[in-house]
Amino acid sequence: MNTANRLTPYLFLAPAAIIMIIALLYPLGYMVYGSFRDWNPAQALSETEFVGLKNYISLWNDAAFRESLGVTLTFAFFCVFAELILGVGLALLLDRKLRGMSVLRTLFILPMMIAPVVVGLMWRYMYHPTVGTFNRWLESAGINGIDWLGRNALMSVIIADIWQWTPFIFILALAALQSLPQSALEAARIDGATSWQLIWHIKLPLMMPVLIVTGLLRLIDAFKVLEVILVMTEGGPGLSTEIVALRISRTATEFRELGVAAAMSNYLLVILLLLTLVMFTFSRIQEIRAQRAAKRIQEES
Amino acid sequence: MLDKHPNPAFYPLLAALIFMAVGPIVLMLANSFKLDVDIISGTSGLIFLPTIQNYETALCDILWYKPDHLDFCQLKFGGSFINSIIIALISTVLTLVLGAMAAYALVRFRFLGRDTASLTTLLVRMVPPAVLLVPVFGLWNNDFCIGKNTSFGEFLRNIFGGRGDVCLEGTHSGIILIYVAMNLPFVIWILQSFILQVPRSLEEAAKVDGAGTFQVFFKIVLPLIQPGIAAAAIFTFRIAWNEYLLASALADRDTKTVPILLVNNVSEFNIEWGVIMATGMLLAIPPIIFTLFASRQIITGMTAGAVKG
Amino acid sequence: MQILKVIMYTAISTVVFASSAFANPYAEYEKTTLVVNFPAFPHYNSIVSVLPEFTRETGIEVEVDQLPYLKMRERQTLELAQEEGDYDLISYVVFSKADYVYADQLENLAKYFMNPKLADPNYDAEDLIDGYVQNIGIAGGEKGYLPGPTGSLFGLPSGSETSVLMYRKDIFEKHGIKVPETYQELLKVVCQIPELEPGMGGMASRAASGHQASHAFLLHLAPLGGKVFDNNWNPVINSAEGVAAANALKTIVDCGPEGAMAFGPSEAAASFASGQAAMFMDSIAFAPGFEDPEKSQVAGKVGYALHPKGVRRASQTGGFGIAIPRNAENKEAAFLLMQWLTSKRGDKLIAMAGGNPSRFSTYADPEIQEKYPFAKTFGEALRYADPDWRPIIPVWGKINADIGTTMSKVLTEGLDLQEALDGVAGRTRGIMEDAGYYTWQ
Repeated sequence: MNTANRLTPYLFLAPAAIIMIIALLYPLGYMVYGSFRDWNPAQALSETEFVGLKNYISLWNDAAFRESLGVTLTFAFFCVFAELILGVGLALLLDRKLRGMSVLRTLFILPMMIAPVVVGLMWRYMYHPTVGTFNRWLESAGINGIDWLGRNALMSVIIADIWQWTPFIFILALAALQSLPQSALEAARIDGATSWQLIWHIKLPLMMPVLIVTGLLRLIDAFKVLEVILVMTEGGPGLSTEIVALRISRTATEFRELGVAAAMSNYLLVILLLLTLVMFTFSRIQEIRAQRAAKRIQEES
Repeated sequence: MLDKHPNPAFYPLLAALIFMAVGPIVLMLANSFKLDVDIISGTSGLIFLPTIQNYETALCDILWYKPDHLDFCQLKFGGSFINSIIIALISTVLTLVLGAMAAYALVRFRFLGRDTASLTTLLVRMVPPAVLLVPVFGLWNNDFCIGKNTSFGEFLRNIFGGRGDVCLEGTHSGIILIYVAMNLPFVIWILQSFILQVPRSLEEAAKVDGAGTFQVFFKIVLPLIQPGIAAAAIFTFRIAWNEYLLASALADRDTKTVPILLVNNVSEFNIEWGVIMATGMLLAIPPIIFTLFASRQIITGMTAGAVKG
Repeated sequence: MQILKVIMYTAISTVVFASSAFANPYAEYEKTTLVVNFPAFPHYNSIVSVLPEFTRETGIEVEVDQLPYLKMRERQTLELAQEEGDYDLISYVVFSKADYVYADQLENLAKYFMNPKLADPNYDAEDLIDGYVQNIGIAGGEKGYLPGPTGSLFGLPSGSETSVLMYRKDIFEKHGIKVPETYQELLKVVCQIPELEPGMGGMASRAASGHQASHAFLLHLAPLGGKVFDNNWNPVINSAEGVAAANALKTIVDCGPEGAMAFGPSEAAASFASGQAAMFMDSIAFAPGFEDPEKSQVAGKVGYALHPKGVRRASQTGGFGIAIPRNAENKEAAFLLMQWLTSKRGDKLIAMAGGNPSRFSTYADPEIQEKYPFAKTFGEALRYADPDWRPIIPVWGKINADIGTTMSKVLTEGLDLQEALDGVAGRTRGIMEDAGYYTWQ
């Protein structure tokens, strides 16, 4: 190999690498540096004062931040949990060659593709206490309207997220189901397994690796949600829907404390990093296990 | 497994699901053709006199006539729409080309730093846009600037106008740069799995015929991974088209994108539901069209991106 | 003879020409394009609709960048900090005054009013509503944010506002309810309405988390005799008056229309405009919208009364002013626009287009009174406008946000009022301490 050849991979990689370094890695480093400083939007970072861990400590003791952390965790876990159950359930129900399935799949993707700000807007309208669709229905059925974005705001934004993202899990679960080894399923059926037994003992265990990765991916994404909530509730009432991402943006723009916002971003990053690590480990372990299981089933049949 | 006689209950279930998925969108579409009075007073459901007045209000700056109901054109949708198109298209094309090249390098070559590059790509995928808000805001405003007294800075100011140092903030390029960077990890990741499937023998054959690595990449590999490119393109476009947070921190009055316009008007003094729904529909139409025509690619992309994760 | 005529003509035309050049103070700035930053707000929509008139008269072009007002503030934070900014004229929310003046980002207007080429001798500044000028324009006097011997002028009111009580005449008549004069009566009526008119809320009020809830609370705090700080900057928001104000807000929201606790100003106004609430107590800026039959189902049915009295009469002062950023490019032309907009003629034009007058004479104008039935009441309400109903200090943004989220929690989670306000007072003290307000004590 001559030098030109040895340089080739770097030439291919360089443009992407340069952009990612300039616009992702350097900013992340910049942020870590900024999180130790007292920094307001009117200052360049070099003009700021070093304050050590002050931002991190004051955040740790800040009830509002802890509350929004709690809101984020509640939001993320409830969303993903509900979406997994619904998505997988639907996939198991609809895993058959029905006419209209491809139409369903196409239409099901729509919510994911539409801008989050538009999704927020639609739901804000539907949840509207008087004008909104839901309360109109309820009232025409003679039931008192629900205070969707007031007392039940967190539940309401979770419902909106479920609407938007259940299809994601459904489609991935369906793909996983349809790529299961048919021989294993046939064998179990010949052995007289009921469809429940099929689902519990064969389909779900075999789908597990995909499901766990999908779930974790959704979990990571759930921490990124911001626009839908911003448009629907702007974090209110109180702090009841103020997820950390929203609080970062408010701290930076409304309270004008960039240093604190940077520290908050770092807390969020650490959580996500942990989740990503969990995801890697899980997917490796599960892959190995699934391979073994598949092999065993094949051998048995 | 072919179900010859599916349970008849499945069709109502299918219909219900479709209704739930599409209902809100249809509702928005219907409302975008109603007057505010009708939306608020609740002349219910689908029986109403459709009007295009809301769309006229939204599009007033690019209409060739002046709608009667408007004193002046406040919502400058047309300009934002053009900004959105410029930003989304350029960033999509750039991301795809650079991403495909990087993915090719990671799959086909063994070189020093390959594992680091690959791992970094994976890790930065999880970074939420909100985390980038603070540093991007700071850097784009203060550090990524060209002094207005340098010759290049002067040159730019002469061409584009404006005042002060030339910074990335407020320019299309500034927003495009962050979108490309944000989308690259994902694109690299899903294209890797497609490139893996390209038979090596084809590349070898081309090389024997005297093609260089770049030629092999552009003439053989790229055409073969078209489905992957299509899927990646849709996902990149989707983010660049829909993103609000970073754009709102970086755009100025001339580079506003449609999501910014929309959010600005939602939090406005008088919510004019009809006009906002019309704006929302206009923003949603391109992704909806993509979905209807390329749902297969989207599903391929989703499975490739997630399952291999 | 012929020659003489020519000379005379020449002389006359020279004189005419010269005098016309002097008569047009705008000539020098013709073809200048001003970039202005306005909020998306009814008053400013009215301004935008009269701007073509300004351009026609003066030859100065105006490019408007309109943003929602909280967004506008964020944008300005950034723009004003630059060495050279894009905006020639900005509109600012009253509580931004402290930030901008403190950071030395606004032009002191003295030098423009001193400049004979720019200042219009017929401007009649006496006619400007003094409560507004004190609240929005002046800084540097008493407590730093009020007028006083050391204060000076940084902006002019445009789109300033005070609060009045708007009520449904038809509903009040139907049930023989007296228009509330005091807070006691108000709170009684507020909860009477839902019983008398099932499905209708007593009063629509802002209550959404953050700025809105804080605004709604402070609206009641001043008339009930409370303050956020005493004269030594000690937080006294948790006084008995503070609790009474929080209680008033809670009563209003509890007896309000459905979904009231998530209302921003637009939702609250919409709820009143669609007949779901019998009263609305907020800025006068909403009134023209209620009288517009295209946007409102209650046009013609609305009565206007003074903000009820607690221990004293104190309606809010708020809204917007206009100022010239220090880093602006065309400051003199911007001043001309500013002066034109707040002149007697400009003020009336804007008012006729639906904006809020900034001048007493505009409220007294028969044409205005004919067009807007509420103009008279508003003119009177202005006498009670309290420029000190909320502090305008640089750290206010943070305190405001805290009051707002706490109030929202009081409304939704039923926090104990005294405890909640004690919490706010404690945190506020910390913020004030950090900002150095107790240095001299």
